Amino acid sequence: MLSYAIKRVMQLIVTMFGVVTLVFFAIRMIPGDPAAAMAGDNLSGAALEEFRQRLGLDAPLWQQYTDYIQSVARFDFGSTITTSLPIAGLMLKALPITLMVAGLTVLLSVLIAIPLGTLAAFLANKGKKKLDNAITWTAMVVDLMPAFWTALLLMLFLSLNLRLLPASGTVSLEDPMLMLKRIALPVLVLAISQVATLARITRTAVLEVLNEDYVRTARSLGMSEIAVVFRHALKNAMLPIITVVGLSFGNLLNGTVIVEFIFSIPGIGTLLVYGINSRDYPLVQNVILFYAFVFVAINFITDIIYKKVDPRVQF
Amino acid sequence: MTNSKGYADRNQYGKDSCLHEAVFFSQNEEEEGLNVKQEAVAGTIGQPIAPAQPRIQISYMRFLYVNKNAKWAMLILLPILLLAFLAPALPLQAPLESNIRASLNAPSLEHPFGTDKLGRDVLSRTLSGIKVSLFVGFSVALIALAFGIVLGTVSGFFGKTTDRMIMGVVDIFLAFPSLLLAIGLVAILGAGTVPVICAIALSDVPRFIRLQRSLVLSLKSRTYIDAARTVQAPQIWLMAKHIVPNTIAPLLVAASIASANAILIEASLSFLGLGILPPEPSLGNIIKDGQMYLQQAWWISTLPGAVILLIAISLHFLSDGIREELDPRARK
Repeated sequence: MLSYAIKRVMQLIVTMFGVVTLVFFAIRMIPGDPAAAMAGDNLSGAALEEFRQRLGLDAPLWQQYTDYIQSVARFDFGSTITTSLPIAGLMLKALPITLMVAGLTVLLSVLIAIPLGTLAAFLANKGKKKLDNAITWTAMVVDLMPAFWTALLLMLFLSLNLRLLPASGTVSLEDPMLMLKRIALPVLVLAISQVATLARITRTAVLEVLNEDYVRTARSLGMSEIAVVFRHALKNAMLPIITVVGLSFGNLLNGTVIVEFIFSIPGIGTLLVYGINSRDYPLVQNVILFYAFVFVAINFITDIIYKKVDPRVQF
Repeated sequence: MTNSKGYADRNQYGKDSCLHEAVFFSQNEEEEGLNVKQEAVAGTIGQPIAPAQPRIQISYMRFLYVNKNAKWAMLILLPILLLAFLAPALPLQAPLESNIRASLNAPSLEHPFGTDKLGRDVLSRTLSGIKVSLFVGFSVALIALAFGIVLGTVSGFFGKTTDRMIMGVVDIFLAFPSLLLAIGLVAILGAGTVPVICAIALSDVPRFIRLQRSLVLSLKSRTYIDAARTVQAPQIWLMAKHIVPNTIAPLLVAASIASANAILIEASLSFLGLGILPPEPSLGNIIKDGQMYLQQAWWISTLPGAVILLIAISLHFLSDGIREELDPRARK
């Protein structure tokens, strides 16, 4: 286990190094003069040169690169072009909000999807085709709904027509109740698609396990069907479910950008869209870098849990 | 990150299909190996030793008629395609033509999807957006297929340093969630149809390389490849005639899902105001336009969104259909 973890950590470091390198060079690939593009094409002559110096774009490429690696290692992401605020500070302020949205989504979707998927597998196994089909079909369609469309539909019904939940307003961490109410809709939007994905995988995984010998043995010992499905089948079906929970984080991160934008929640995603619209390349660069780090870290954690749950797994 | 994970960050299908196909290919292994050995005795390099065509041939017309999933896909996709391409001939207002007096009109016979703030016909704009969406989806799938086949085959076939280098780069790209990679690339390349296609394709290519590589690895050690090697078939011949044709089928399954995903990502980018910019209509930016008037005019956002969903569903049906056609065990 330990040697495996060490090997994976080495891999993790190599990948993250590659990610930083890619992000560094991507910004230098901006067609034309990067400094001019960042200044919004409205500086020229001496002003442009001064701006270039401020961003460190006048140094030789290798020096820029080593400087960048060093500053990333120190978690010093520099400051934004437009407002000169430190990027790390902006991200730290936005992070808890995004984390809360993502965390609640995962919690909610796991709590709903796993029983639902197991139920569908149970029904399919019992020969109740119609109910199982209804669940599977709904899950497939919901899975394919674009997040921003779901968001607008829910906004239309739940906040504009029924006035149940707010779709706008301030978000502050000081007032937890208000905060919860405010992020309820975004979490719901994200959870709907996560539930659909997870429930489908759970159904397939449990169904596969239900044909195993030990399930038959459990039944022959006179166990109730519910105990068989939930205690024996589900437990052994956890492996693919864990993988998909980990992988669907990619989708979840994509989704947070969209719901934060729609419901104007000041999280990391909003920061990113703001950065692009104001051509603040350092901001965009570092926010994307941050998302990649989170994604890689989650993949790493998934792999470790996977190994922990099933020691037979070889990589 | 393991092979099977490559595709799953957007959809578990890629993973499923890869596994299905791997099993599927191995089922035919012995039978194929035997045939090839017999042929190999008489074969020369000039003639294909193993069957050069994919062994399971899809008869396309039969496929569309008989396969239930494919039939459903066509039932949804064909009318949408027809409407989108015949739009100029329909009695509709032009997509960009505005009429302030008909602002925010509800759906009616004259404007089946209603009108937007500027009095533009939403159906006409939607149909025009569908063409953009399908173009993006199709181009992305083609680019991903082309690069995926070449680089994946090279990586899987040659192994060693080549493989490690290609896979190293692939891993770096896969470290970004797909939409975020596309957002970053659009920030660099700028908005518009071509940059959007490039941005989305660049996040799909690594997934296709991984898929193709895993398929090649499972084919590489087949006896019919050994047979071809024994008669000194050149490597390029092995790859082009014996390996790639046998990987096309699972790639098509993945491509059809990739195009659905590309359409969703393009819509998301345009919705965020980063993809295809107004006034050129795209499904994403029509929906964004409607967001402001959601309460007064629900039709502007909701109806084009439903169209995106229909297209995505039909492409998934298509991929399920192709998979069933190739793997008899998946048939119900």
